[in-house]
Amino acid sequence: MIEIDRLTKRYGATLVVEDVSFNVEEGTLTVVVGTSGAGKSTLLRMINRLVEPSAGRVLIDGEDTRTIPEDELRHRIGYVIQGYGLFPHRNVADNIATVPRLLRWDRKRIAQRVEELLDLFQLDPAEFAHKFPHELSGGQQQRVGVARALAARPALLLMDEPFGALDAVIRSKAQDDLIAIQRRLGATIVLVTHDMNEAFHLGDRIAVMDQARLLQYATPAELLMRPADDFVERLVGTVERPFRLLSLTPVREALEAGHAEGEPIAASESLHDALSRLLWTGRKALPVADSSGAIIGRVSVDKILQHGRPLP
Amino acid sequence: MVPPRPALSFDHLGFVIAVLIGIALFAAPFATYRATRIASGEARLVIEALPFSMAAALALVALGVALGAVLARDPLGRLGSAVIGLAVLLPSLGLSAGYLTPADNNFARVSPSLGFWLLSLSFSLLAVDALARMRLGPFGRLAALAVGASALALLLLSGIWDDLSILKEYDTRADSFWREARQHLLLAFGSLAAACLFGIPLGVASHRLRTLRTAVMQSLSIVQTVPSIALFGLLMAPLGAVAASVPLAAALGIRGIGAAPAFFALFLYALLPIVANTVAGLNQVPAAVVDAARGMGMSARQRLLGVEMPLALPVILAGIRIVLVQNLGLATVAALIGGGGFGAFVFQGIGQTAIDLVLLGALPTVALSFGASVVLDALVDLSKGTTPA
Ligand SMILES: Nc1ncnc2c1ncn2[C@@H]1O[C@H](COP(=O)(O)OP(=O)(O)O)[C@@H](O)[C@H]1O
Ligand SMILES: [Mg+2]
Repeated sequence: MIEIDRLTKRYGATLVVEDVSFNVEEGTLTVVVGTSGAGKSTLLRMINRLVEPSAGRVLIDGEDTRTIPEDELRHRIGYVIQGYGLFPHRNVADNIATVPRLLRWDRKRIAQRVEELLDLFQLDPAEFAHKFPHELSGGQQQRVGVARALAARPALLLMDEPFGALDAVIRSKAQDDLIAIQRRLGATIVLVTHDMNEAFHLGDRIAVMDQARLLQYATPAELLMRPADDFVERLVGTVERPFRLLSLTPVREALEAGHAEGEPIAASESLHDALSRLLWTGRKALPVADSSGAIIGRVSVDKILQHGRPLP
Repeated sequence: MVPPRPALSFDHLGFVIAVLIGIALFAAPFATYRATRIASGEARLVIEALPFSMAAALALVALGVALGAVLARDPLGRLGSAVIGLAVLLPSLGLSAGYLTPADNNFARVSPSLGFWLLSLSFSLLAVDALARMRLGPFGRLAALAVGASALALLLLSGIWDDLSILKEYDTRADSFWREARQHLLLAFGSLAAACLFGIPLGVASHRLRTLRTAVMQSLSIVQTVPSIALFGLLMAPLGAVAASVPLAAALGIRGIGAAPAFFALFLYALLPIVANTVAGLNQVPAAVVDAARGMGMSARQRLLGVEMPLALPVILAGIRIVLVQNLGLATVAALIGGGGFGAFVFQGIGQTAIDLVLLGALPTVALSFGASVVLDALVDLSKGTTPA
């Protein structure tokens, strides 16, 4: 568990991060979201001590980060930034091997790990290991950046606007890939973004920051139903709210008995997707299938609409 | 579809080259004959400077090159014709010297004149232009340089040029020529090495500390504006004083005149480009790369040696290139304060109005500068290696 305890950062008289506390559970993805200049990057950089806190502390599994030598701490924490900062003079394999080399792993172990990560990120080792960063597309560079950060199996992965340099189509694919990899590795991730859609798409929990302060730290659904104040409510987007709620709710929550015509939708898909299909096809209901493909009931427009507003 | 290019077409540079060749062949003296090394010269046209058959052959080849320069497109063909031109021109200068010098006369001197220089300029221009159009990689350019240098060495060793005045000057001073050559290289490369040893760390420190950077850059810029003679002069007094008061310094050869002030002046001139390019090279390393390196737990030393310096290297090498070419030229001036080097021949020659002696100092300097710039350009390209241009 990562405990962020009353972290504060001051530059001269200006408070950039003010008394922020929250805990990140092992194996979860926490998104820090807020407008530009809110202090998100500074907060993130205090976790791996690229910025020294003015006050407060960070505990990783109960261990105060100040008791760990800086470089050693950073070997244990993955770090991905917007633009990735890949080393232009080193090929993909050498980039990924950066931290294992700093840790003096033996060559064979490094080579194995690099290959494993390239496979995980769907980059054919034979094709990509010896390419240089400028020979890669934006999406490929992004994947190498994340692979490099994960190379030494860090306890925690910090990501600062990791999708900021990607165009919309590649970005949503990269987000899905990140979720898949996070689930598969059980990684603990703190990700910074200014994009509320991204926050809702990725976050198990969301920390909303504004003007150096943490306004609310909650699950996406709580954020929608019970925003802490007007600012959070506006940030969450009043117009978008029902649709966000539907995106967060799986079809199985609105499952009802009965028959419907048309192509079935998976129970794990979101109500947002189900509604979208219903609107487009002009039907009133869709059959619902479980993971094996068997029809287990149906989902209807009326039932979906009930989920698009806060429970009484 | 791209229309097929005609094999022959009109070329503007080629036209200029052809005009130069025409002037060189028919309107300019090919060689100068002097009864003694300081007597006034008598001009000899191509037709007078060579036996008739040789003169005719040279003229035909030169006209052929001119025609090729104007009409041929293919760079390989243009390079080929330039090389053939040079292969005929360069030995014929030696033959002309033998032809013009009366038998058993050790006082007469034959030296190349405007026509020869124009012809060699035109052919070289054509060759260099063809090489540039071939867009050779760094290794290709190094190979071309090696071929050129070997050809030159072969001409010198073959003895075909031995009757030329400049080689007669060399002949009477072979020992001092190589001594001054060594001195010249020592001054140029030694001061460069010293400037690197001192300037690169200073550049790294200036990159880190903004206040230091301003102070260093300003003082080095002031040094750079002092004319070389004046700087040599300025250094004579303090170094003379050091030599007079510190016996060890004197024993090490540090004196008010001689190599020490020259070396020190070259060192000072070299510092600005080295420091400035080190700072510029480090500044252009992307901030995200440095941030990522820090975030992954690379220590300051690991970052500097593993990331920042390799990425700054092309810019630092470009600074070294500037300094080396500059030093090879400036080292000539060192002779004025007794520092030796090829400048010794230049200034002796000026004193005696012996133009051949001036050339004996000047031509090796030019050749060295040219060779150094080709080699370092290639190194700059190689150091960029895998990073995008
Ligand atoms: N080193 C610094 N010195 C002074 N001010 C800083 C420094 N770093 C960040 N700031 C200021 O702190 C505020 C928050 O910055 P940052 O954490 O980068 O915000 P965000 O990532 O949310 O956009 C900004 O107003 C920024 O100008
Ligand atoms: Mg930021």
